Amino acid sequence: MHVRRARWLQTCAIWLVGSGVSAPAAADILAEPPSDLSVTVYRAPYRNSGSIDLNDLEGFALVSETRTVRLPAGLSLVKFEGVADGIEPASAIVTGLPQGVIEKNRDAKLLSPSALIESALGKPVELLRSNRKTGKTERLAGTLKSDSGGVLFQTAQGIEALRCSGLPETFSFAPGGGLSAQATLSVLVQSPKALTRQVTLSYLARGFDWAADYSAILSADGNSLDLGAWVTLANSNGVGFPAARTSVVAGKLNRENGEVQPIDAGGPILASCWPRGSTSDSPMILRINGLRREADKAVPMAARALSLQEASVTAGRVQEEQLGDLKLYRVPDRTTVASRQSKQVRLMDRARVPITTVYSADLAANETADAAPASRLIRTMNTTANHLGLPLPSGKVAVFALHQGETLLEHESGLRDIAVGEELEINMGASFDVLVSALKETSTIDPARTEMLPLVPGVTLRRVAVDAVNRVDISNAKPTDVQFELRLQLPPGARVVRADHPIGAKNGRPIFQLQVPANGTATLRYQTQHTTERVT
Amino acid sequence: MRALLLCIGWAISMLAVPAAAADRALSVTIYNDDLALIQDLRDIEVKDGRQRIEFQDVSAEIRPETVSLTAADISIVEQNFDFDLLTPAKLMEKAVGKEVTIVRVNPSTGAETKELAQVLATNGGVVLKIGQRIEVLRDDGLPVRVIFDKVPDNLRARPTLSVTVVGAHSGTRRATLSYLTPGLGWRADYVALYNESNSKLDVQGWVTLTNSSGTTYDNAQTLLVAGSPASADGARPVAYRPQPRRGTLQEAGTESGSRERLGDFYLYPLAERTTIANLQTKQVSFLDVQGVPAEHGYEYRNHWLGSAEMPISAKSVYSFSTSAHAGLGDQLPAGILRFYMRDKRGDPQFIGESRIDHTPMGSTLSLATGDAFDVKVHAIVDKRTHLSVFDWQTEMRYELSNALPRAVVVKLIQDGLWGDSSIKSESQKSTRRSADAAEWAVTVPANGKTTLTASFETKY
Repeated sequence: MHVRRARWLQTCAIWLVGSGVSAPAAADILAEPPSDLSVTVYRAPYRNSGSIDLNDLEGFALVSETRTVRLPAGLSLVKFEGVADGIEPASAIVTGLPQGVIEKNRDAKLLSPSALIESALGKPVELLRSNRKTGKTERLAGTLKSDSGGVLFQTAQGIEALRCSGLPETFSFAPGGGLSAQATLSVLVQSPKALTRQVTLSYLARGFDWAADYSAILSADGNSLDLGAWVTLANSNGVGFPAARTSVVAGKLNRENGEVQPIDAGGPILASCWPRGSTSDSPMILRINGLRREADKAVPMAARALSLQEASVTAGRVQEEQLGDLKLYRVPDRTTVASRQSKQVRLMDRARVPITTVYSADLAANETADAAPASRLIRTMNTTANHLGLPLPSGKVAVFALHQGETLLEHESGLRDIAVGEELEINMGASFDVLVSALKETSTIDPARTEMLPLVPGVTLRRVAVDAVNRVDISNAKPTDVQFELRLQLPPGARVVRADHPIGAKNGRPIFQLQVPANGTATLRYQTQHTTERVT
Repeated sequence: MRALLLCIGWAISMLAVPAAAADRALSVTIYNDDLALIQDLRDIEVKDGRQRIEFQDVSAEIRPETVSLTAADISIVEQNFDFDLLTPAKLMEKAVGKEVTIVRVNPSTGAETKELAQVLATNGGVVLKIGQRIEVLRDDGLPVRVIFDKVPDNLRARPTLSVTVVGAHSGTRRATLSYLTPGLGWRADYVALYNESNSKLDVQGWVTLTNSSGTTYDNAQTLLVAGSPASADGARPVAYRPQPRRGTLQEAGTESGSRERLGDFYLYPLAERTTIANLQTKQVSFLDVQGVPAEHGYEYRNHWLGSAEMPISAKSVYSFSTSAHAGLGDQLPAGILRFYMRDKRGDPQFIGESRIDHTPMGSTLSLATGDAFDVKVHAIVDKRTHLSVFDWQTEMRYELSNALPRAVVVKLIQDGLWGDSSIKSESQKSTRRSADAAEWAVTVPANGKTTLTASFETKY
């Protein structure tokens, strides 16, 4: 009897759904899967240097999909299924439709167990209750009464709560409801006649990133290096882009952090019952574990940890072109930007780039400092004369050196965007052998240059000229001479009046360049002068 | 045939809820600041005398104090908004003292035994009185179904609005229910394609509306208002908006357009009725202009008289007019403008975006899309001298470099000239845009460098 009743009810439900949705007479048209794809990946806008973080890809991409759409005459709702789940719906552009687009929609709600329960609220459902002993499943027609803090349903027998009885219970839903399994963009369009069109859908999507990864191999004499680089790009979206025309863009773009309505893949169904305390235990709340487990399968894609599938390597070097004030690098052949994948394409290879190595220290003037390691810097100019002369997009540079026929990693550091003609400086980290200490030897006030400025009766401002003599000791434990560079940070208004080495300037700061002999030390003395005010 | 009749009968019984959305006309007016006015025109069935009318399908975020119901020949007694939600625990709690049916299932045979039970308490566990005995529900862990007769009146699956009215006579009449609700919002999104060869911009404008109010508005007549009416009680949280990093509006416009207005607000009605589904982002076109003259330039702002450790990229700036003559010829509601440019193969590529505020017609906008890879400025303090107690002299040097194969002009701004600051000498004539900032237009040759020097005297 129950079974018979359920069958006519199901028929009714289908009939109701079919007749109810017809309010705006738009035909649902599914666009074909993309026949042509192009993906342009942009870097995380706020990262100045360094690599991408596969667990948190903060860059984005411009995705263009060409799809075939078969339109009937009249109003139709064209659905583009399977767009990137990180889509920014407001950025979507659709071109190629006959009369233009009436409206574009992105529904954040995806098909999930909780979305099914929610959309069935107040509507007829079928309850399935199984008998554990006999294995028989009873089918009961009913109505879903509530889904907030527990699920209640009504059958001919009365009102009951789902899964509070201890019997296996679940619902069977009427089809329809229009929820998509994948992120979908839909477009309402009016066509005067039936036609087939190639439509291009472009949109920005989050969950992409790329960076350049440089590897530099130092020559045995340390006077040149071979510089090579990969473009490493990654996609953390749940959607892959097969055989896509792929490019990456270097340069810093303005990005407004506009809020994007996140995809709602449905939360767990919280089916709590009435208090379930027994005479032998403390009160606890019963939850439906079976349903929750099902819901867990539908966690938002972005929330899932990105598991690196593979790092595939493509042959062929990217081609650079100017795009406004940015640099566009095109991957020569079509390639697949798969879901949750990082991919590497060769960016450049340059051999025998002449370099200079300098040990550098950055000190505040007139301060005493204990012996601390100097930084080793490798420098060259980004010019064609130096076998470079190409834009170097930001990333990470790993410097290798040869050691008994093997290449070993020496240091890794970040690299900012470097234009043609700029200086390229690679920080090789703290030196083991070159140490720097500073000492203020004397500090004198010149009475001849002291001024007394009465402020208010009883308070006088004394303006004094301070002369400080400083000594900097540099030790070198290397068996070779090294070039050393000291940069000083002067207090405002101070200047270096005397020094025992020639003084230069870089970036508006005094700089001393000297040679430190092999297994020896060098000493540098300088005198600064500045005026300061003291209240007496 | 019999089945179909059954169907219809059943369907009618399903739909026989009060104030059902049988014949309904919705109109939705959306403001900028997460606020919307809903006007819901529907036929309601009113009996003679006092009665309660329930309204379903209203916004789940409704501000109940703003509800007003108008219909012919009724007088309103009171309006209620019930938010006591129907849950299994609540249902059991409300059944205390009442009778429920329990069905025990024999775990070995599967046989069902029906009994009547009185609910005594629900504190921590459910205590039942069955016949003359007292039991704790499912204390033994065996399956027991509990069946309730009815749902208490004030428990509902969703918060529900109800209005108690007195009808003058019975019959169907047209009623208007209007209320304010948050959860609906809109902004504008612009797509600007820049053509580098002729310096022209094609601009499309889309209104983007979002609905997170928990309800779907079917077939609604939609009006968007560019403006945010002030909230009188201040209860509505004002969304945090970061301050713009640089002024985008160079000159405020003074032209009027043909767009509809409401007071000082501009109105953007949607041409056709539309369905605004819950959790949906919807876009409708409102602007499509081709060939607007635009200027591409570079801008660098040094915030104080200080040095940088390395050259820093200048901003890449696009400026255009919204005037009816040689411009967009429209007001621009606040939103985000995304710039695109064609690559060598002719495919449009994204080159950056910029947020704009409500912009009157006739304005000049200057929007930064990002940093120029090849145009950089290195600001250096060459010398700073302490002239007297509050008097300093700073010699600045600006090294501008250009790795592009064409000459560029960089608008160099020295900001932060607080106090009494004057330029004692400079290698190129500056304009003083304010007491705090000096500005130079510096030409940098193709693949070349230009150095600009200036000496500032600053008194505090």
